[in-house]
Amino acid sequence: MSIMRINVGPIHPSTHGVLRLVVDVDGDTVIDVNTHIGFLHRGVEKLMETRMYMQNPSYTEKMDYVAPLAWDDLYVHAVEIAQGKEVKEAAQYARVVLDEFQRIASHLLWLGTFCNDLGQMFTLFMWTFRERAEIIKFLEDISGSRMFYVNIRVGGLWKPLPKDFKERAYRLTDYIEEHIDQYPEVLDKNPVFSERTKDIGKLKLEDAINMGAAGPTLRASGLEYDVRKAMPYYIYDKIKFNVPTRSEGDSYARYKVRFEEMKQSISIIRQALDNFPSNEDVVGMPIKLIGPQANPEPVLLSHELPRGEGIIYMIPDKQKPYRIYMRSPTYMNLSLLSHLAKGHKFADIFSILGSLDVIMAEIDK
Amino acid sequence: MAVENDVPYSEQEFENAEQEMNELLQSSLKGKEVPINAMFLKLGDFVKARASGLVKWSMEKSLWPLQFGLACCAMELMDFGAARIDAERKGFLLFRGTPRQCDVMIVAGWVTKSMVPRIKRLYEQMSEPRYVIAYGECATSGGPWWESYNIIKGIDQVLPVDVYAIGCPPKPENLFGALMRLQDKIGGKIDGDTERSITDNPRRYEKRGV
Repeated sequence: MSIMRINVGPIHPSTHGVLRLVVDVDGDTVIDVNTHIGFLHRGVEKLMETRMYMQNPSYTEKMDYVAPLAWDDLYVHAVEIAQGKEVKEAAQYARVVLDEFQRIASHLLWLGTFCNDLGQMFTLFMWTFRERAEIIKFLEDISGSRMFYVNIRVGGLWKPLPKDFKERAYRLTDYIEEHIDQYPEVLDKNPVFSERTKDIGKLKLEDAINMGAAGPTLRASGLEYDVRKAMPYYIYDKIKFNVPTRSEGDSYARYKVRFEEMKQSISIIRQALDNFPSNEDVVGMPIKLIGPQANPEPVLLSHELPRGEGIIYMIPDKQKPYRIYMRSPTYMNLSLLSHLAKGHKFADIFSILGSLDVIMAEIDK
Repeated sequence: MAVENDVPYSEQEFENAEQEMNELLQSSLKGKEVPINAMFLKLGDFVKARASGLVKWSMEKSLWPLQFGLACCAMELMDFGAARIDAERKGFLLFRGTPRQCDVMIVAGWVTKSMVPRIKRLYEQMSEPRYVIAYGECATSGGPWWESYNIIKGIDQVLPVDVYAIGCPPKPENLFGALMRLQDKIGGKIDGDTERSITDNPRRYEKRGV
């Protein structure tokens, strides 16, 4: 049969942003997938060189708009290392709590849109957004903004925590846990869901390591690598948690890993709240007070973002970064797509792409 | 037969009936401000005017937005489509994947130079009458990427924008407000020159959640 070339995107409901795919198909079988990126490129690394240190969080948070707090936290932590500032103890606990809530919110949004892509029209989308709305409300009451909470400052947070912070956080974890437990009943027993995810897009461990897969995609192939365990930052070395892994490496395994991660995040939040220091002073330095004290040594720092290991390499200058490089985990994951999709049916491309959890703004920068 | 005798009007009356109707209409419009054309208003025109009002009303009450997210603001667009806002109660029915079935294009996110021809093409594919909402700071003016070399400074340099919703990102409630403002515009309740931006924070007085 002759080979047909199909164009998908850049504006397509299932490409999660503006991604263009050029797919060669033989009948219904995919022979090759070419990914075209760059439709959201805005030169963020160059722009950050022209801004003062604490003006930049409003750029880093737009890197990954599903989990803005994670990149924000990574960048401010890098600035703290460059400036030689220490993070207050209570602020470390608070940041861990906020980060993990952000991770749950991000995974919830992913799960909803993933099921949307698979044809589970809107049921789970509505459910996950219901839970996500509560988390966002909680984060909004702490930071003042619904989506872009620019509330991380050098040494701590922007404002003191509200009085009912711990109480509400406990209640929220209970609420999420109760509702999350209902999902497997809809998903795992659903023949459509399991047929569209099981044995689709299998990634071997060897390939995953060689091609630089990151985050849940890597863990679904069987490698137990998590920056929170391997190179603990903040208070993660004091907290007990598992790194969920699966050996199958297919779309279903990636869903399972993310689902288990949400549960682990809940237990991390509870432990952090249990051990919260009695001195609840979390307020960091005001933006104006960050003077020209930066250490000229380059900073290399990695955090575990919801989508994998994010790395910042920064050469600090006195008032602003001289050069900054941000390695985004989803860029590595997107490059797996053409490897995974070969030999599958055309409709399976979106199951694979959805399970890789791609954010285009982070890829194009 | 006796059919002719049964007709209740004479031949002359029948000829004058249309004229009488026109006079009736004109006399009913005498006290009001009407354009000069109304002097020549006929019964058919009257019906047509009524029908166009009906069309306007139905256009106003069923706006179909295009499912078209560019960047961060698309997250809030998804929230708008989810259960919390319940947009259907005001007639924003379905997010459609194809521009041919849509009335409103919500430009949510920054627009790079390589996206401009594609957005133009989508706009041209939408059927008339079509409307554009600039959602968020980036689509309104370029936002934080003002100094970037690859971003155009506002979608209004390319497309005619009807309503601007301002914020980074605006809350889903603000999009709701913007769409209601657009409905007023379609229904002729406000004209194009009045203030068109939505900046309130409707959640300010809302109760706390869980």
